[in-house]
Amino acid sequence: MNNKILIRLFLCLALAQLSVPAAMIFKREMILKQGEQFKFKAAPVDPYDAFRGRYVALSLEETSVPAEKGMSLNYGQTVYALISVDEKGFAKFSGVALKPPPDRPYLRATVRYTGGDKVNLKLPIDRYYMEENAAPKAENIYRKHARRENKDAYVIVRVRGGVAVIESLYVGGQRIEDAVKAQKGS
Amino acid sequence: MNKAGIRWLYQELPELVQNGVLSQDCADKLQQHYGPVRTTGKTTAMLVILGTLGSLLIGLGIILLLAHNWEQFSRFTRMILSLLPLVLGQGLCLWVMQKKPDSGAFKEGAATFLSLMVGAAISLIGQTYNIPADSGSFTLTWMLLIIPLTYLMQATLPAVFYLIGITVWTGINFDSLLNVFWFWPLAAVTLPHFLWAIRRESYALRGAIFSFIAVICISFGASFSLGKFWPSAWMFIFSGLYSIFYSLGCVKAGGLTANWQKPLRLLGGIALFILAYIFTFRNVWVYGLGANPEISGTGFLLDQTIIIAIVTGAVLLFFGNIRNRNQIASLFSVVPLLVFIAYLVSARSPVLALLIFNAYLLVLSISHIRLGIRNANLGLTNIGMLMLAVLIIARFFDSDIGFVAKGLVFIILGIGFLTVNLQLSRRLRGAK
Repeated sequence: MNNKILIRLFLCLALAQLSVPAAMIFKREMILKQGEQFKFKAAPVDPYDAFRGRYVALSLEETSVPAEKGMSLNYGQTVYALISVDEKGFAKFSGVALKPPPDRPYLRATVRYTGGDKVNLKLPIDRYYMEENAAPKAENIYRKHARRENKDAYVIVRVRGGVAVIESLYVGGQRIEDAVKAQKGS
Repeated sequence: MNKAGIRWLYQELPELVQNGVLSQDCADKLQQHYGPVRTTGKTTAMLVILGTLGSLLIGLGIILLLAHNWEQFSRFTRMILSLLPLVLGQGLCLWVMQKKPDSGAFKEGAATFLSLMVGAAISLIGQTYNIPADSGSFTLTWMLLIIPLTYLMQATLPAVFYLIGITVWTGINFDSLLNVFWFWPLAAVTLPHFLWAIRRESYALRGAIFSFIAVICISFGASFSLGKFWPSAWMFIFSGLYSIFYSLGCVKAGGLTANWQKPLRLLGGIALFILAYIFTFRNVWVYGLGANPEISGTGFLLDQTIIIAIVTGAVLLFFGNIRNRNQIASLFSVVPLLVFIAYLVSARSPVLALLIFNAYLLVLSISHIRLGIRNANLGLTNIGMLMLAVLIIARFFDSDIGFVAKGLVFIILGIGFLTVNLQLSRRLRGAK
């Protein structure tokens, strides 16, 4: 093939290679700017990802959501978890819908399993990336904290169009990054 | 004749002419007949290897640096940081395409680097925005963005990454009955590049690496995607696949290089022997066969179509081997056909099924020994002896034969090994 044509095709590919990450960035930035803010209770632990580095795995406190009777849900099916806020200001899932609800905040999730009148969801809030050395410390801080007081770790999340972007992780009312720094200082 | 042979011949020619074995005229004619040896040269090969390894290491290093997660950087800095290596890689590729369009080393190296940088970019974005670990879309996005490089830059390593990547993706989607079938069309995307590369002498090493990785990836891809409807399907799938690999490894086609065939022959042969060996055990035929197949929908149809295609391909290649009178290749590639026959009879008598494979391994090992002795090939003979020994040892552990009989057979086997080796090595020495 002619080298000129190859180069032109390569430029198209380069554009595609750039536009995918750019679109990923743009979408998340829009959510962070315009999305609605929620607080979810979550417990952090520390695993590792070879490509993306260390993260604190988050498991939300409530992943079982009441389902309507007669709703047939299969493993891996996409559903929309409806978000409501309780009297203490924490977000909870109050139900699931098969179509995105027009007037309520929701998160896109997949079904893990169903049991009784509840459905367990795989939620898209599962990891919080941290600096290499900070992630294990963060987990320690959480563990100590959880033993002393009630488990008050939570994430602040922005939600828009069913997609969530985590803003920050708080343990004991302190941003996790600040808590790690404070520990270093002491 | 292969290239090494011609090179050897050309080296010998002056001496042959000098000693009067050949006339100068005759030597010239020989050279005319074979034409010049196109030496891609060892330096070029080294350049390709070193260039590619270098860019591989730098690329992986950049990924690791980014994975450290520099939390003091703002989101804007991170955005620049994630796109910068990508743009750098693209610039490098563009420069190579414009300035060095004929350098295989530069093209392979640059394409490898860019392939890794695409992964680095989407990894860093995932890190910045805490994007969840969802069902393999990270891997698939990465792979789809790099596979065109294989064709635009005639580079093999992006195709190798891609094969590994889509296999990982198929593994992540293991429990989805339909998504896994995408493995096959996705893998087929690399086929034109492979067919192109094996015609080129300068791609001999790359062809070999590709076929080695392809055998491994296709094995995993097949086990992730096929045989979920029918408990005995694995026998047909894997005997068929490895038989196809083995036969392709033996195909003689004009104008093709040969290095790519070695991994196919080696891995295919070992796998076929192991399969046939497993089939000599009673449990496979007694407990391995399940009840009725569970039939439902598109997944079932796709599954059956691919399995039938694999087995048909394997059987056609087997008849090709027979037609070419390639004895060893025919013996190896007959396994799927035997599986079919054994499967049919196993419903009535499992013993008959395992007898078929015991007899098969006996024939396979003895043919190796015989052929080895006839051609004075010590390696071939010993492979045959080894196969025979493995078969006999297995039989003696799962049958009710007395210790004395067992002992005698082992001793006879050992003596057999030694005598044949002794005779062969004597004959080889005599031949020199």
